[in-house]
Amino acid sequence: MAAVATVSSASGILAMLQEPAEELKLHALASLNSLVHLFYPEISTSIPTIESLYEDEEFDQRQLAALVVSKVFYYLGELNDSLSYALGAGPLFDVSEDSDYAHALLAKALDEYASFKIRASKATEGEETVDPRLETIVERMLEKCILDGKYQQAMGMAVECRRLDKLEEAIVQCDNIHGALSYCINLSHQYVSHREYRCEVLRRLVKIYQTLPHPDYLSICQCLMFLGEPETVANILDTLLSGSKDDALLAYQIAFDLVENENQAFLLNVRNRLDSQTPGQSNPDNASVLSDNQTGNDGTTSTEAAGDVQMGDDTTTASGNAHTVDPKEVEHADRLAKIKAILSGEKSIQLTLQFLYSHNRSDLLILKTIKQAVEMRNSVCHSATICSNAIMHAGTTVDTFLRENLEWLSRATNWAKFSATAGLGVIHRGHLQQGRALMAPYLPQSGAVGGGSPYSEGGALYALGLIHANHGEGIKQFLRESLRNTSAEVIQHGACLGLGLASLGTADEEVYEDIKNVLYTDSAVAGEAAGIGMGLLMVGTASEKASEMLTYAHDTQHEKIIRGLSLGIALTVYGREEEADTLIEQMTRDQDPILRYGGMYALALAYRGTANNKAIHQLLHFAVSDVSDDVRRTAVMSLGFVLYNEPEQTPRIVSLLSESYNPHVRYGAALAVGISCAGTGLSDAISLLEPLTSDVVDFVRQGALIAMAMVMIQTNESFDSRVGAFRRQLEKIILDKHEDTMSKMGAILASGILDAGGRNVTIKLLSRNKHDKLTAVIGLAVFSQFWYWYPLLYFISLAFSPTAIVGLNSDLKVPKFEFLSHAKPSLFEYPKPTTQQTTTSAVKLPTAILSTYAKAKSRAKKDAESKANQEKAMDSESKVNQEKTTEDTSGSTSGKASKTQEKDADAMQVDATTEKKAPEPEPTFQILANPARVVPAQEKFIKFIEGSRYVPVKPAPSGFILLRDTQPTEAEELVLTDAPATVAASTGNTAAATGQQGSGSSAMAVDDEPQPPQPFEYTS
Amino acid sequence: MDPKLTEVTQLFARFKAAYSRNDLDVCANLLSQLKVLLTKFPSLPPSFQQTPNAVEELKLARDIYEHAVVLSVKMEDQDAFERDFCQLKPYYMDTCGIIPPSPEEYPILGLNLLRLLVQNRIAEFHTELELLPAKALDNLCIKHAVELEQSFMEGAYNRVLSARQAVPHETYVYFMDLLAKTVRDEIAGCSEKGYDYLSISDAKEMFMFSSDQELQQYITEEHPEWDVKNGSVFFQKAKESQPCKEIPAAPVINQTLGYARELERIV
Repeated sequence: MAAVATVSSASGILAMLQEPAEELKLHALASLNSLVHLFYPEISTSIPTIESLYEDEEFDQRQLAALVVSKVFYYLGELNDSLSYALGAGPLFDVSEDSDYAHALLAKALDEYASFKIRASKATEGEETVDPRLETIVERMLEKCILDGKYQQAMGMAVECRRLDKLEEAIVQCDNIHGALSYCINLSHQYVSHREYRCEVLRRLVKIYQTLPHPDYLSICQCLMFLGEPETVANILDTLLSGSKDDALLAYQIAFDLVENENQAFLLNVRNRLDSQTPGQSNPDNASVLSDNQTGNDGTTSTEAAGDVQMGDDTTTASGNAHTVDPKEVEHADRLAKIKAILSGEKSIQLTLQFLYSHNRSDLLILKTIKQAVEMRNSVCHSATICSNAIMHAGTTVDTFLRENLEWLSRATNWAKFSATAGLGVIHRGHLQQGRALMAPYLPQSGAVGGGSPYSEGGALYALGLIHANHGEGIKQFLRESLRNTSAEVIQHGACLGLGLASLGTADEEVYEDIKNVLYTDSAVAGEAAGIGMGLLMVGTASEKASEMLTYAHDTQHEKIIRGLSLGIALTVYGREEEADTLIEQMTRDQDPILRYGGMYALALAYRGTANNKAIHQLLHFAVSDVSDDVRRTAVMSLGFVLYNEPEQTPRIVSLLSESYNPHVRYGAALAVGISCAGTGLSDAISLLEPLTSDVVDFVRQGALIAMAMVMIQTNESFDSRVGAFRRQLEKIILDKHEDTMSKMGAILASGILDAGGRNVTIKLLSRNKHDKLTAVIGLAVFSQFWYWYPLLYFISLAFSPTAIVGLNSDLKVPKFEFLSHAKPSLFEYPKPTTQQTTTSAVKLPTAILSTYAKAKSRAKKDAESKANQEKAMDSESKVNQEKTTEDTSGSTSGKASKTQEKDADAMQVDATTEKKAPEPEPTFQILANPARVVPAQEKFIKFIEGSRYVPVKPAPSGFILLRDTQPTEAEELVLTDAPATVAASTGNTAAATGQQGSGSSAMAVDDEPQPPQPFEYTS
Repeated sequence: MDPKLTEVTQLFARFKAAYSRNDLDVCANLLSQLKVLLTKFPSLPPSFQQTPNAVEELKLARDIYEHAVVLSVKMEDQDAFERDFCQLKPYYMDTCGIIPPSPEEYPILGLNLLRLLVQNRIAEFHTELELLPAKALDNLCIKHAVELEQSFMEGAYNRVLSARQAVPHETYVYFMDLLAKTVRDEIAGCSEKGYDYLSISDAKEMFMFSSDQELQQYITEEHPEWDVKNGSVFFQKAKESQPCKEIPAAPVINQTLGYARELERIV
């Protein structure tokens, strides 16, 4: 009797449905509801009966009938019908039920609702109304998630369904509001593909932030920057500045973070607004009142009104207060000056310059090898070598190599000379104060007819642009004058590029007119640069100037101009996403392949870093269907720009294209991977590029080598062994006499990129806050144009960002401060310097004898100049290791030489006396001293030591970090920064300062400055 | 004893009394009350909960539904028969091992088979038959139905009609009467296909009517489209036969070639 009986068929219950008595029908429905998962095939034949029950107005359990029908439809796979009946079931449909049915239907309901909402936002109002029952279900679900504490789920759904009210509710009820908000910001950047809606979400988030008692100003300002609301940011900064010391630190930190996103126009706007608020704020009596005002109200408009009132007061009181020196006032003014210095970018550029200069570890031997291997007569390789040098020393101001090889350098003629001069700009990038003095010998002399060739003059103007890229307030006027005063098209070319770079994204009308005049001269060389310059000027403004440019592109006969213009047009729609669709459509449908090619760039830049499906789809379509190879190549390459926020995806998406029969497509695939995976060292990317570096077609090899270098930048051999192999491969290609020029050039450039910026920079297209770095993206986009025009190679320097942690105190000085890198030092250390026999550089015998032998050998091989370079490197290293021993400051060569070997683990044991902490061959952690090099892969291992004197304002593992001093009474110990601070103006034309190079390294910190390059004479 | 069970038992006793009195209206009324009450028992299908009274409840419920089936036959209500039988069936199929088989089981199953035969639902007839165990076929009631079906299929309609005399159970009579009509419909269907017309006397013999009048009545009720003239019955064969559809050879060939072409292009 124990046998458990089960029903074998639902026919009995179905028959009961036919009974006349209501109770029986009800009973049958209830039974069916519980058995539907077993007998849905049987029940499906009776669906009409149950449906008629549902439609029967008299029947009091219609909802149960609907639920049963819904379940049957679900099992039959008819989700649409199922959902519509589930909606009919009303409250009986249990959102919390843990069954496949409930899960599937909820997902369906959410999808349905979200797509409704999206359609509703597009269509004109009132056209479609959402089914209220659907809305109820979604709301019930959201409420349930909030109640259950699944806030992230609720937030995700609310964002997806465009229910900002629910989003707010979820965030406010969440126990960790700050966490929730930052989660939402992340969400809106990663998953909200519609730009307008993303702005809406962010606006709402900012609103929530502002209601909090302790708002997270860092995040608010990031959002506001995305939204483009400079006045609110200015208000926040102003409030913070008039607050306590910690508040001021926070304000500085915010400013640094904003600067990192490289939005020049926005930063200028914020700075100007801070200016306009100064009079009101400088009155100390009213400052506190005003700041109260600002915290009280919600931010934007009313504060300005308050500010106006203050201004009125101020006119009367200011004169009275002028002579009484109020310490508070002085402090505020001081802070304001500091924050303006930060916002203008000068501070971070200056610090970066100091860092890159002091930590420069570039290996001159590599360049020397290249120089010797390259034939003099081959101008392509020659200028590639010059470019490679410029990239290796980008931003370090170290031009030793050039000064050593003036004779060799002078072989550059015509456009090569243009490039070579421009290369100086890359080396001195960010040297804002001295930039003009440095370039003075090459610049066009106003009035006097200098003997300078137009090529070096044009190149110098371009170089000025590179030095001042995105921070060109100071130099703009000079560049404009130079542009107006010349009619030589080469100089115009340089001036247009320089002007575009210096006033990147400022949309300055006057500058635009100047460049347009050049364009209308219809000269091919100048016109090309003018097109690009206009684009640079108008980056991301989506102004109607684009159509003007498009019209001219149709009118002109010159291919060069069309190409310049089409890239320029593409630049104007940078980051505009859907807004740019009309223009993109127009360009991609054009008959002229060059304009279609511009259209690809427009797609790439408008949807940069969004991984937008539509854009990817379109690009893939063009990549396989366009008739022009140029368009196809660009389409594939553009994928790299669209996908750089998800670098893991790119190798997968382009893997098929990298095996295409068409070499242009393969080239594009290589660059796409290079661009999107730049600086990641991603294993998949390397595996994809590896076969391409030995492709049968020379230019594919070139692209693959460059892309590989971009991917592997700052990755060392102990992190990925293929880096070593790649370095050897580059060397082999360069030394091989029979290698094609194209791939040789690629290899030379790749060596430069691999060790770019003294091995202290990486290519980063996203800032730490996941905002896109405008300058970097633009830089790479224009860089990729080098296919047509080699001088554009130098644009890659815009994409370099230093990998450093720089801790700053409230005076924006660099104090002594240590922190921990919780990883093996060898994983992230600099690559070992190459030895003379570079082909066998891999082998180093681990004996103490070798160490001394190497010392002697390296001593013998060094000439005076390279020694000086190593001194600098050593000096920085000694700071890294925090060595307090003074023995090595004597400047004796042998002592220094031994120190160069310190990186060699075995030599370390021999020289252990100088090392405080090197007990094991491979410690598991490393103490880093401020400022330190921290490569991106290392960031996750960075820890701040608890209980140290300085506490970071924000625990970010890289970039500029403001430090709070916990012992403000004690004297601060600052790190001496041996910065290239000033250059005597008179040194411009004097001979190279030979004496300075040899000066003692102990004094270097104070007075050793890099010299401007000796003005080399061209033998033309 | 469980009060609910007592209530149902008492009600069922009243139902049986009315049933033996042949008071059908009262029976139907009581029956629907009983059915509602039965839904309160958790041990009944489909839930089959194991309660202490499970066996009694199941037995009682089965008894009630068996009576309901028989009652529906008496009331000559085929829909009710089907309903009640479907509800009864789980007690036969799924309760093995809990309650002993009912003595009424085979007669009622046979009755159901007969009903399917009458309604000309041959496919379902065989489905039901397959569900029965092999030894059930030896049962007189089942055997009767199976034999009838065989005769029916062979076209031995006379055997079908003569089987009425040998019913194994008194309830079968109702269905046997109906079966005669089913047989007649079958014959009519065949004649329609087989003949253009039949003389009235032939038709009378064919349809097994004893008088012309009965034939005339049958035709007006069931087949008003037939013509009766000149002493013959004319079937509407010409009307029914539809022109044979042409095989769409050319379009199919075209389409296939198209696919082939496309395939070549894709590669």
